[in-house]
Amino acid sequence: MSALLLYFLTIVLMLLVAPLLLSFIKGIKMWLLYKRPVSILQGYRNFAKLLRKESIVSREASAITRVAPFLVLSPLLVVLFYLPPAVKGAYYVSFVDAFTITGLLALSTFFLMLLGLDSASSFGGMGSSREAFISALVEPAMVLTIFSVSMMAGDLGVGQAGVNLAEHFPAEHMASFLFAAISFFILLIAENGRIPVDNPETHLELTMVHEAMILDITGVYLALIESAASIKFVIFASLFAGLFLPFGPELAWPLALLVFLGKLFAVALAVALIEVHTAKLRLFKVPNLLGIAIVFAFLSLITFYVLGA
Amino acid sequence: MMLFWLLLPPLLMFAASFSQSVWARRLLPISSFAVLIPVAILFRLPKPYALWGDYLVADDLNTYILLLASVVGIGVTLALLTLDRHVRISQKALYRFYRFFGLFWVGLSLSILANHMGIFWIGLEMATLSTVYMIKTNHTPAAHKEAWNYMIVGAIAISLVLFGIILIYASAKPLLGEKAMLFDALLHSAHRIPSPFLFEMGFALAALGMFVKMGFFPMNLWLAHIERAAFYPVAALFSGILESGVMAGFFRFSQIAGKVNYDHLFLFVFVYTLLTLFIVSFLIFRAKDFMRLFSLSGVEHMALIALFWVSGGTFAALLHFGAHAFLKPALFLSTGVLESGGRYRFAGALRGYHGVRGKLFWFLVGLFMLAIVSLPPSPMFFSELYGFGAMIDNAKASHHLLAMLGAIALLLVLLSVIFYRFVAIYQSMKYEGEETTKLVYGSEVAALAIFAVGLVALLLPGTLAFLKSIG
Amino acid sequence: MVDFLIGVFLATLITALFTTRLYRLLFWYALNSLTLGLLALTIGTRLHDRAMLLSGALTILLKAGAIPYILKVLSRKFALVRQIPPGIKTQYAIMLVPAILVFTFYLAEPISHMVQGNANYVAVSISSLFLSLLLMIEHRNVAPKIVGFLCMENALFLLGTTATEGMPMLVELGIFFDLLMAIVVINLLLYREEAQS
Repeated sequence: MSALLLYFLTIVLMLLVAPLLLSFIKGIKMWLLYKRPVSILQGYRNFAKLLRKESIVSREASAITRVAPFLVLSPLLVVLFYLPPAVKGAYYVSFVDAFTITGLLALSTFFLMLLGLDSASSFGGMGSSREAFISALVEPAMVLTIFSVSMMAGDLGVGQAGVNLAEHFPAEHMASFLFAAISFFILLIAENGRIPVDNPETHLELTMVHEAMILDITGVYLALIESAASIKFVIFASLFAGLFLPFGPELAWPLALLVFLGKLFAVALAVALIEVHTAKLRLFKVPNLLGIAIVFAFLSLITFYVLGA
Repeated sequence: MMLFWLLLPPLLMFAASFSQSVWARRLLPISSFAVLIPVAILFRLPKPYALWGDYLVADDLNTYILLLASVVGIGVTLALLTLDRHVRISQKALYRFYRFFGLFWVGLSLSILANHMGIFWIGLEMATLSTVYMIKTNHTPAAHKEAWNYMIVGAIAISLVLFGIILIYASAKPLLGEKAMLFDALLHSAHRIPSPFLFEMGFALAALGMFVKMGFFPMNLWLAHIERAAFYPVAALFSGILESGVMAGFFRFSQIAGKVNYDHLFLFVFVYTLLTLFIVSFLIFRAKDFMRLFSLSGVEHMALIALFWVSGGTFAALLHFGAHAFLKPALFLSTGVLESGGRYRFAGALRGYHGVRGKLFWFLVGLFMLAIVSLPPSPMFFSELYGFGAMIDNAKASHHLLAMLGAIALLLVLLSVIFYRFVAIYQSMKYEGEETTKLVYGSEVAALAIFAVGLVALLLPGTLAFLKSIG
Repeated sequence: MVDFLIGVFLATLITALFTTRLYRLLFWYALNSLTLGLLALTIGTRLHDRAMLLSGALTILLKAGAIPYILKVLSRKFALVRQIPPGIKTQYAIMLVPAILVFTFYLAEPISHMVQGNANYVAVSISSLFLSLLLMIEHRNVAPKIVGFLCMENALFLLGTTATEGMPMLVELGIFFDLLMAIVVINLLLYREEAQS
């Protein structure tokens, strides 16, 4: 198959699988808690339902509320094009580095916060401020981590780094690789609002972060925001799969895509297990967790530079 | 076989502690006297005498240290007979004390005799852990806290020693293989150690661990607080046996380090001990009770010994070491009487003794008090003389004579501060404060008498010649 | 493989530093010891060193199995405090830990040129020594201090296995013996504590 076709196929696959992953996590959690699990297709159903519904916008809201959901989604869609390839020989964008990806993610978060503020409800403001608080801590660790991995891979471009890692795995840098992986996994949890940081299922005012911002949003807009959340998870999961589990792309393309999907579901499974086993942190303890992520990211860098291990 | 006889008295003590009868306890001083026989035989045997392969080898140096430790052990067993008259202690706790004393003694005998860095460390660790419980026999919250404190800091110190040992082993292993653990093998091939930096790093860490264990800078008050909280025999054991074991290790390690790079060794120990002495002398000046006073003075003397040893004054160091090993336990044991009734003040501590025992007691304690600050007939006087002589000789050989002389002058000033304080305390003990009657028991006087005899024996020409031959 | 284990070793220690619950801390300690044992087994197989294999197996049995279990039982028996917030605030620890790591890595650099073979491991073990010291310093409770002491033992063991390619068997057995004795003494100390109050 041609390189470009594979490239687009992967992206379409990721878009398709995105709602599936979140439903999958939810299902696993319910199953482990002895509940009857939701269907794995629930994500699609919700999406379809929201599309059918009428969208109501608060009278206080400005034009931002109508524009912001698109602006939340679009940077994430752009990032999808910059990810490391899942199949060897597929087309990939090699020059986009950690700053660009983090910046695009931050742009999406920025519009989400704007959306929360625009509804002029007290919840929206609270959610936005919390989101700002968390993402401010996530960004440095994220840049450090991806940088560290790019160093090990020998290229600053994230896509190229993934390819290099798959071709030649740096076994001699296993230790710093491990530290970077731990750090990135914590970031994955924090940035996607999973349990130790934020509980996506609750509407309790003390704890919610992401939900607080989108409390006023309905219909198509909500569908956009929800799909943005699932796409964000897919982005992080595939970054983790491409950078920290760099095996599989060299297989034949159907098989390679299958392995890629398997890795995404493995990440989702790990997240689900962590969610079941831990309690949500108090908001002011969240910096501690992210601090650990920063420590590990930094450790990964210095282990690489000083020890070369 | 020899090893068995050497370890028999402590093992006997360990065994006897399980029996509840009183006569078993009475028997212990006699059995611990028995340790002198194998030590005496050890003196006669040709050196170096292998007690257990390469692992435990007796040479002149450690036989001497073992003798000192044994005498202290005997003295402490004697004093332990009347421990329950001076302090409140339950029978069960007393037996436990004996049990861990036995273990402690075994551990340090191994340490002193060790020719193998690993055995040295294992013995030291065993002794450290058993001391924790001995501190704990005093049933006060302070003692409890200090026991944990000792456990933690002692564990850190001992880990530093092990750390150093591992680095030393790593530095010499390419050359010597498994033999790199043996002191004598290391000493023989010290010049050829492939990575001297690694060795010196290891030595510095091990020495740091040993210094912390002896209460050098920065842990000056650590031991003092612990000895204050524990019963007085614990302090005697610390100063007499534990510090002997640690010092024996320091002697061995520094011998090797001196061959690797003498200048580095000297500078390290010199700066370290000078810093310690500087702080300790002022702490002594402010000490308000006997335990802390004696404990800090012990730190001071250990620093002096280490300094003399690395300055090349082997004879001075060993003489000082011997004198200190007899004087300090004696003083610590007498603290039980001096502070009887829980009175920690200096004033009047030497008054109120009646009868022959009482008279003898205050006479001996007064003598010891003055001897510890090296008033002339004391062996410490001669050792300090020789020690400073060695330092000056050392200075002449080096390029920084003036700096060295300045340091010696500073040292003398610090020592005179300590001297002044001790004399003042002695006067206050004898001539101030009200008189309260204090009870002295025969076993305690006997213990003090043993130490006094030992002290005199140190000054015999034969002993001096022997000590010179070690150097 | 060895690099990976070293990484896990350091990672578990750092995680232990930020732990606020006793059982979790014991779990991290057990994991730490487990990686250490696996490390000894890996290096032992590579060197065909039977002594190291034995000590690796002993490490897994004792330090990863028995000792955490005994400590757990003891903490139940004496009702030790199981909430152990570190005395150093996390914000400061976040700065302190990397500082320690950088310091020790650079400290160990000249050494690692001299040790043959596993050069980096010396640096890792020195830094884990300092980190376990930090673990002991940052807690006021007794139990985490004990765990810190045990972690220090692990760091030394790591140095012993990697820097010198195995200490003599006698020494390693002696260290194990002393470790067991330490547990006995800890038991006695705790016992007294209970009898007193």
